[in-house]
Amino acid sequence: MQTDVMDREFVHSGHVGCPGCGATIAMRFVLKALGEKTMMVLPACCWSIIAGSYPQSALKIPVIHAAFETGGATATGVRAALDMLGDTETTVLTWAGDGGTFDIGFQALSGAVERNENFIYACYDNEAYMNTGIQRSSSTPYGAWTTTTTGRDWKKLRKKNIVEVLVAHRIPYAATASIAYPEDLLRKAQKAKNMKGSRFLHIYASCPTGWRIPSEMSVKIARMAVQTNIFPLYEVEDGLRYTINYKPREYLVREYFRLQGRFKHLTDQDLDQIQQMVNEDWELLLRKAGERA
Amino acid sequence: MKRVLEGSHAVAEAVRLAKVQVISAYPITPQTHIVEILSEYCTKGLMNARFLRVESEHSCMAALIGAQTAGVRTFTATSGQGLALMHELLHWASGARLPIVMAEVNRALAPGWNIWVDQTDSLAQRDTGWIQMYCEDGQEVLDSTLQAFYLAESVNLPVMVVLDAFYLSHTYEPVDVPGQEAVDRFLPPYVPKFQLDTAHPCGFGPLVAPGDYMEMRYHIAMAMDDALIRFGEIEDAFAAQFNRRYGPVEAIECEDAEIIFVTTGTLTSTCRLALQDLRAKGEKAGILKIKLLRPFPYERIREELKGAKKVAVIDRNFSFGAGGIFAQEVRAALCNTPDHPPVFGFIAGIGGRDVTPEMLTEIYRQTKNSDAPQKESVWMGLHEVKYAD
Amino acid sequence: MIMNESANPNPLFMPRTYLTTESNKTGSWRFARPRYDEKTSPCSAACPAGEDIARIEMLATQGLFKEAWETILLENPFPSVCGRVCFHSCEDLCNRREFDAAVAIHSLERFLADTAIRYGIKPDLERRTPRKQKIAVVGAGPAGLSAAWFLTLLGYSCRVFEASEEAGGILRWGIPAYRLPLTALRHDIKQIEAQGVSILTGKPVTAEMLEALKKDFDAVFMACGHGLGMAMNVPGENLKGVGEGLDFLRQIRDGQTPACNGVSAVIGGGNTAVDVARSVVRLGGKALLLYRRRRRDMPAFDPEVEMALDEGVELQELMAPVAVAQEEEKILLTLQEMMIAGEENSRGRIVPDHGKIHQVRVDRIFKAIGAQAVEPWHQPDAADRDMLRLTHTVLNRRGTGAVLVFGGDLTNATKSVVHAIASGKQAAIALDALFQEGVEAVVPRMEACRVGDGQSLSMEVYLGGERRLRNPHVVRYEEINTDHFQFIPRVTQPRLLKEERARSFEEIDLKISAQLAMKEAESCFNCGICNQCDNCYIYCPDTSVILERDTQGRHINYDYCKGCGLCVVECPRNAMSLGEETP
Repeated sequence: MQTDVMDREFVHSGHVGCPGCGATIAMRFVLKALGEKTMMVLPACCWSIIAGSYPQSALKIPVIHAAFETGGATATGVRAALDMLGDTETTVLTWAGDGGTFDIGFQALSGAVERNENFIYACYDNEAYMNTGIQRSSSTPYGAWTTTTTGRDWKKLRKKNIVEVLVAHRIPYAATASIAYPEDLLRKAQKAKNMKGSRFLHIYASCPTGWRIPSEMSVKIARMAVQTNIFPLYEVEDGLRYTINYKPREYLVREYFRLQGRFKHLTDQDLDQIQQMVNEDWELLLRKAGERA
Repeated sequence: MKRVLEGSHAVAEAVRLAKVQVISAYPITPQTHIVEILSEYCTKGLMNARFLRVESEHSCMAALIGAQTAGVRTFTATSGQGLALMHELLHWASGARLPIVMAEVNRALAPGWNIWVDQTDSLAQRDTGWIQMYCEDGQEVLDSTLQAFYLAESVNLPVMVVLDAFYLSHTYEPVDVPGQEAVDRFLPPYVPKFQLDTAHPCGFGPLVAPGDYMEMRYHIAMAMDDALIRFGEIEDAFAAQFNRRYGPVEAIECEDAEIIFVTTGTLTSTCRLALQDLRAKGEKAGILKIKLLRPFPYERIREELKGAKKVAVIDRNFSFGAGGIFAQEVRAALCNTPDHPPVFGFIAGIGGRDVTPEMLTEIYRQTKNSDAPQKESVWMGLHEVKYAD
Repeated sequence: MIMNESANPNPLFMPRTYLTTESNKTGSWRFARPRYDEKTSPCSAACPAGEDIARIEMLATQGLFKEAWETILLENPFPSVCGRVCFHSCEDLCNRREFDAAVAIHSLERFLADTAIRYGIKPDLERRTPRKQKIAVVGAGPAGLSAAWFLTLLGYSCRVFEASEEAGGILRWGIPAYRLPLTALRHDIKQIEAQGVSILTGKPVTAEMLEALKKDFDAVFMACGHGLGMAMNVPGENLKGVGEGLDFLRQIRDGQTPACNGVSAVIGGGNTAVDVARSVVRLGGKALLLYRRRRRDMPAFDPEVEMALDEGVELQELMAPVAVAQEEEKILLTLQEMMIAGEENSRGRIVPDHGKIHQVRVDRIFKAIGAQAVEPWHQPDAADRDMLRLTHTVLNRRGTGAVLVFGGDLTNATKSVVHAIASGKQAAIALDALFQEGVEAVVPRMEACRVGDGQSLSMEVYLGGERRLRNPHVVRYEEINTDHFQFIPRVTQPRLLKEERARSFEEIDLKISAQLAMKEAESCFNCGICNQCDNCYIYCPDTSVILERDTQGRHINYDYCKGCGLCVVECPRNAMSLGEETP
């Protein structure tokens, strides 16, 4: 990675992201990698607010705010227009949260990538509807408290595996990334930038407010998600070629869960079960990557 | 050059001539013929445009919002359910001040499934900030579509060109299709007043607090007012080039009319027949055809109706719990003028049912024979129904 | 594109931005305040010379070898020597030890010194303006030369009086060449002389001469060391064939090859004993090393013992000499076998294992059980309560004449090269404080330049250098964010084969390459010191860490910093702190 890539900056200070906001770190990284020739489609998400209220913008690139469910479609239009105007250099980036990706924007995303629209779709995943006040999404992990999964009704369903869904579309590039691994993230964003067709980045972005963690822990927690195999770092080319980018030394999930208020109700038994689920997913991934028979 | 075209094809010809750059569409009957032709034009290189085969009407409008913001001329067509699905983004397009043009083929809303004409779909979008033009025949469809681009881009508001399902969309008529040079003389190339630009980055559609939102809405209101004036100017320019003019309303034999029908769309043509018969029998009838629903030409309507003794508005739509929507609009236009004529509301042709000259004559008879409307709306042609046991 | 809407006949007033968010001073949200707060590395605090090791390794990582070497010189004029013979307590306390293995600090020190020699680099060290006071130093060993070096840096003129024909003291005469080659020692001494220190060799200082020095100089630093071997206090220890280990080593260093045929018994467990035994092997003899405690209790450095055994030295533990007798051509050495009766000060407490007496017949015996001052007046008077007793030196401030200072082995509890250097530095700082501000200033000034919470002093801090701002807090392992480090095997010191070692006095430890050195230096956590890794900048969600391109520095923009604390947690080396925000 060239050092000047890490040095350049496309996010202004003075934005209203919460202290320790992982989504903001993710945005800084991705824009550093993509550079100034980037146009952003921004469907409803935390970043709709962080990006600034009229007449202010927190971003140094052009942004089109879009309706919640239109991340894939709006980008399709922007790309088409740029092509018609002869601008093939500019990268079109959709920047969406997990709600706008896994749930309400799922159709438009699926439609866009099925058409292999030439754009990058980055989903920064904070695992719930954080902007509206921590409601569960299909990205909310098993075991989590949210304001719509309270008390005994904590979420007892798995998180949707969005990357595998995208992979099933056989798009040129789909990758996971984490704010705790900047070099990996920047490399993937740059790699995506240099490709054509639909490219998908699933970026793990911790949320101190919604996860009930101290703001200074947000990167640490994101790192632990990778270290525990809860959020493995990997990339898939053409829906076929899997590469696992980081092989953790099999840390236990327990520590990750214990540090977060949203999981504080979980018993040891629950955590054992979650550990099993994580192991299962990891084995599955290893098989896909051809590292297990 | 005169060609015999479907209403759908008239739209497509206009879109080709307007040199639209991005077209996005999702199939829905009875709009499909419009985009089928456009898709083919793009494939054959008869148009230099990108045709986006999106996965829903919602995404269709979202894609146009993206494309138009990025700085190109755009077009789509839809109908009924499709328009209803777009609803959220219709607000978005006008709020974002995007001059998108759409052909909307009026189709009844489900359930039960009904693909035939009914204006409730487009009238339900009355408050979305779109300019709406209702057309009567193939020529008007073509001409209005060309004018729509000009008008939309003049005031930075989206325009919906509305045509009746089948009666217009699938009906072949001779249509004068102008040459490209003539259209180019009329319609200037698209120059965006703003666009996504990496050299001048700014954010479009951010959070707007109460301190500014109201002024932004007021500017849309002003643009709508302006659109009425610009519509006239554009019609002048169009008439100078092509020698055709429609007006925001068309008054047919209204000068001495005592009872004036108010109509829209193809129903107007049927009414023209009925009018001939009535006039032949010495009845002092007239027709006021409304083309523009938004901006609503209040002044012209008051002007045209002020001499009438009675007004009979025929609505191929219905607002449940209120009445026919054009009737409400006309009443609202008149209510503050002294000694205005009573407005009789008639509901006819819902869900594609035929409206015959006889039915219109019956409407005339009922209006003539009543001193005042007995109720808000009179449903015409209802039959006995058989209920399930 | 029209941006000036007021000039537009139909102005658009729409949701489109034209300003940045920078007018929102989000710093007002902050209730915790991060700041750059460099702290002390445990290695520095553990180094008796107070070397700024974390910084040295950082500079070495960046390939700034000269700067790294100068950073050593500011605290220790003997990098060539200490890179070889220091017992490197720094490595014992290295935080990396808890992660994988300690950084090979001594190898890096030697590498930097070797590099300076190889390229003939001259240090650019700032010297204070000249002071009028003159100082005499008695003994050109590590303590005396260090004192002279630091006093010269502080602006004083120094003259060193050395009894032997060459400077270096124990370094020159007591440590074998296979551990410390002459070239390495001579380079460090030349460096000291180049700084302006004058060394007069072949000038032993007698009691009368000391009186004269006290008249001619403003201070005299006594650093003539312990040159007299300790007695075993057993019958027969003065017989012919029983000698002092130090004398044996000195003969070898003097170019002689003393006879070593047959078996030589070496009594003792310190480095001198091990050096004597290994020298015996190198001269073709057989060495029997006898120690009264266990191997693990030996004060000699363990790798040295290990190598000695490899080279063929025989070690017998728990053996105390009780008698020496002549027996024809041989010497009969009677030994009492000892047993462990408990542990004290982490060594075995020994008592005789009664009845277990051994006898060995050897050709000669070398005593290496410690040394003491040659003359009683070399020592500070223990009864004199007017003396200012510091950790490594003792000052006699009585009267109006010269200040008499004792240092090095004469006063150090631990007799080691680096403690001698520490003593010289302490003497220099004490004298400077005394001359400039009076005797009352000595202790407070000394306190103010301590490294961390230990006894080591920093000349950099004393001179008011940049690093004076470092927090004395010694960084603990738990305070390192080890997520940012990877396991790296410690550099393996390349060495002569044991067959080569047993045949000559060639230096055993070979040089390491610059590439290897940089890799090793890179493994340093740089505890408590900013090495410009930029994690604070990288992870700041608020774009509030500002890089200063020109100075390679960085600062926090408190106008926007929300005090989330991420920079502090993600700082791998605890070079930042989070404090409460005070309104």
